[in-house]
Amino acid sequence: MPNSPSPQGGGARARMQRWLPKLVLSPSFVLILFFVYGFILWTTYISFSNSGMLPDYSWAGLRQWSRLWNSWTWGIALHNIWIFGLLYIVSCIVLGLLLAILLDQRIRAEGALRTIYLYPMALSFIVTGTAWQWFLNPGLGLEKTMHELGWQSFSFNWLIDSGMAIYTIVIAAVWQATGFIMAMFLAGLRGIDGEMIKAAQIDGAPAWKIYLRIIIPQLRPVFLSAVVVLAHLAIKSFDLIVAMTGGGPGNSTAVPATFMYSYAFSRNEMGIAAASAVFMLAVIAALIIPYLYSELRESRS
Amino acid sequence: MSFLHINNIRKHFGETTVLKGIDIAIEQGDFLVLVGPSGCGKSTLLNMIAGLDSISDGELLLNGRRINEVHPAQRDIAMVFQSYALYPSMTVAGNIGFGLEMRKVPKHERREAIERVAKMLQIENLLDRKPGQLSGGQRQRVAMGRALVREPQLFLFDEPLSNLDAKLRVDMRTEIKQLHQRLGATIVYVTHDQIEAMTLATRIAVMRAGELQQLGTPQQVYDDPGNLFVAGFMGSPSMNLLNARIVMVDDEPVARIAAGEGTLELPIVRDREALRGWQDREVIIGLRPEAITDPASANRQDGVIHETSLTVSLVEPTGADVYAVTHLGGRDINARMRPGTQLSPGEQTRFAFDVSRMVAFDPQSEERIR
Amino acid sequence: MSTAPPTARAGVLSRAILYAILAVFAIAYLMPLYVMLTTSFKTLDEIHQGNMLALPDNWTIQPWLEAWGSACIGLECNGVHGYFFNSIRIVVPAVLISGLLGAFNGYVLTKWRFRGHRIVFGLILFSCFIPFQIILLPMARVLGILNIANSVTGLVLVHIVYGIGFTTLFFRNYYETFPNELIRAAQLDGAGFFTIFFRILLPASTPIIVVTIIWQFTNVWNDFLFGVSFASGDSAPITVALNNLVNSSTGVKAYNVNMAAAMVAAVPTLIVYILAGKYFLRGLMSGSVKG
Ligand SMILES: Nc1ncnc2c1ncn2[C@@H]1O[C@H](COP(=O)(O)OP(=O)(O)O)[C@@H](O)[C@H]1O
Ligand SMILES: [Mg+2]
Repeated sequence: MPNSPSPQGGGARARMQRWLPKLVLSPSFVLILFFVYGFILWTTYISFSNSGMLPDYSWAGLRQWSRLWNSWTWGIALHNIWIFGLLYIVSCIVLGLLLAILLDQRIRAEGALRTIYLYPMALSFIVTGTAWQWFLNPGLGLEKTMHELGWQSFSFNWLIDSGMAIYTIVIAAVWQATGFIMAMFLAGLRGIDGEMIKAAQIDGAPAWKIYLRIIIPQLRPVFLSAVVVLAHLAIKSFDLIVAMTGGGPGNSTAVPATFMYSYAFSRNEMGIAAASAVFMLAVIAALIIPYLYSELRESRS
Repeated sequence: MSFLHINNIRKHFGETTVLKGIDIAIEQGDFLVLVGPSGCGKSTLLNMIAGLDSISDGELLLNGRRINEVHPAQRDIAMVFQSYALYPSMTVAGNIGFGLEMRKVPKHERREAIERVAKMLQIENLLDRKPGQLSGGQRQRVAMGRALVREPQLFLFDEPLSNLDAKLRVDMRTEIKQLHQRLGATIVYVTHDQIEAMTLATRIAVMRAGELQQLGTPQQVYDDPGNLFVAGFMGSPSMNLLNARIVMVDDEPVARIAAGEGTLELPIVRDREALRGWQDREVIIGLRPEAITDPASANRQDGVIHETSLTVSLVEPTGADVYAVTHLGGRDINARMRPGTQLSPGEQTRFAFDVSRMVAFDPQSEERIR
Repeated sequence: MSTAPPTARAGVLSRAILYAILAVFAIAYLMPLYVMLTTSFKTLDEIHQGNMLALPDNWTIQPWLEAWGSACIGLECNGVHGYFFNSIRIVVPAVLISGLLGAFNGYVLTKWRFRGHRIVFGLILFSCFIPFQIILLPMARVLGILNIANSVTGLVLVHIVYGIGFTTLFFRNYYETFPNELIRAAQLDGAGFFTIFFRILLPASTPIIVVTIIWQFTNVWNDFLFGVSFASGDSAPITVALNNLVNSSTGVKAYNVNMAAAMVAAVPTLIVYILAGKYFLRGLMSGSVKG
């Protein structure tokens, strides 16, 4: 680690200069301590309290947690986030990597194509949800279009099918994030040492084998970052579901984020809402903390 | 009273001690080079002189005044960094003038000073460029200009040439030396390159693992190394170090060295009295490659020449010289032969040893015997 | 440069397949935007009768005018323009203040390190990753206590606080690449803490300023969770208004107006992305992906 300047010297000015950095950092740090860590503690405490519509600081032990765990909707939400998260992460990575590799073949219009794959990232989930809700609208959207094009038997009504609605959200979410993942992989591909690939070619390895055996294994850090970014986006998924299905039909597309919101602001069950939020935080923390730890440790050397 | 006095200075970073009591004093106009392997604490010492690192223990005196607690900006010191550390968003003129601007020098004076320095360094045509548009050598000059313009009492250089390619490095080395002579400035210069140290310095301080090994003129450090480390570090190719035994022949000490099947006996010329005490004990003797030559190139005027035949095991022509490698005293040793010498491996040839340049070391303490 | 092994004698056929695949993906990615745009220029009749993929027979900007000025959101029928300006009033201060704080933090955390700087950075960084559900309940109460619930000011505060993590990360990673010698040289030249920052580091920070502004702009503009949780009614941002418009259960669904409103909500970030997306990606790749 490079040592930081620590100028010597007495006098008021020098002493000021030594305090200044911490002074400048402190507003942010205090904000974070209060609004992040203070709030985490508060919410955690509430999850063990009797709070309903208003905070009630009397200790309730695991009452809210057992209510949460016995909730039918919470079960659906967990089930959905599991399906959604898995499909979302895997599809984005597979498609993103595929697009990155295809784009890396000295493609003529690479810049334009990259822009096209990437623009959904600029859109809000609400806009994305609005667009896809319309696009997949069973009465007027894709289904009707296919019928008019002559494919009379085509049927696509997942949006209103409680068993399938969650998959429409996966489609929209993947559409939005693939480009970003592609860009990450593309940057990773461009960072690989070209000489190693030349060496493999001289050794006579065919292109697909070079990708499988040499290039893709070297993208491991990108895979890791992609999983972290996507998992984090998946657990926070809220906007897209609200915009596309509102959690419906029925409760069929509920996820922990929508569950928490409705218990917090519609049903006035602060205790359960807090417990569900703490659970979400715990899952993310279990994923993120080791990642951050290893990243920060690496930069130490 | 010396101009810069580094008095028993120590530096700790937490538990680790990086400098273990350094004592150096130089006079005004001296060019002190701190040389040593990477990580030995040279930059740390330089940063402490600049005031950029705190001094854990000891005293730093500039012109007789204690400056341990003086803020870097008030020490009247300028520094040239290894990475040049040019301010990326300012022009060359802005870079050079920044220190004056901070010292509230009026604009027209600043302009004059910048132009004077730019002329001295031949970078007048670069004044409006940004550092990103300069080559390595040009950046190096700007970095020097930034230091020169302030006309400080003391210049500090931290490996200023190590990012340049070989040819430019040699040219800049010459230029720095000329600048030193022209300005009569006092300079502390850090490098890990012993050739740079030899060519530039009026005083060399050889450092190793936070300790000062030897302080002296380049000639002293080269001819009279204080210990095995200095002997091995200074000079390229490095000094030949071989195992020998001191024996008495006709009541005079002689170094007996294993040579092939038999032995070679080299008379002791230097430190003779001290070596009498080493009778029948193992020592390590040191001989520079240029003190082992072919008989015709031997310096018979100043030296004391002792000739013998040895088998050549390898020949390395460098153009200017031919180095012959032979086996002696359990080591491979390098001998500098006349250019154009025709030799082939396995051949027996005559070597001339200039024993007046031979030095001896204690194998245990690694200190010089004298 | 491409790392792809040069396919020396790659067949024309395989190149054609490659381009075909890329083109199919491109069409798939463009389709929703295309449909959104064309729908927003159609009349409701045409939407009900015609083909979703067809261009409008009768181009009309009526849906846009309605979305902007007279569509009913909740009880009021003034369109989304008020909410659009709300979003602007939220975005501008939130981006500038969180960006400036992040720049200072990055500067201190790389160039003026102190004992424990790593922990401080870790704590700040972790705030990027928390699910915001964990702070919704206490934040709603604190905004209430500060008397800025349901206000633009409240949302600005929220976005500043939860933006600091990312802005700090960006600037820290950027300033990490600046040699410490730069700071030392400036100190010897006589510059102090703020002079070094404003005269030397900040003028050399354009790439990361671009990244930070785009990132924060997109995040704040596109935010829905904070908006819907902390700002109902008149102070809601555009995303909340759009959702209320599209998913209100009353009346006939005016898909063309919905799409026009969605475009209004999308246009600012799309423009930013198209104009500066290149710099954004370049900076992002060197910055955030590597923590
Ligand atoms: N801030 C620091 N904290 C701990 N150790 C340091 C710090 N700065 C330098 N060191 C250590 O001090 C030793 C000397 O470093 P340095 O003066 O840079 O060596 P040199 O310039 O001779 O190569 C090195 O071993 C280095 O690891
Ligand atoms: Mg150094």
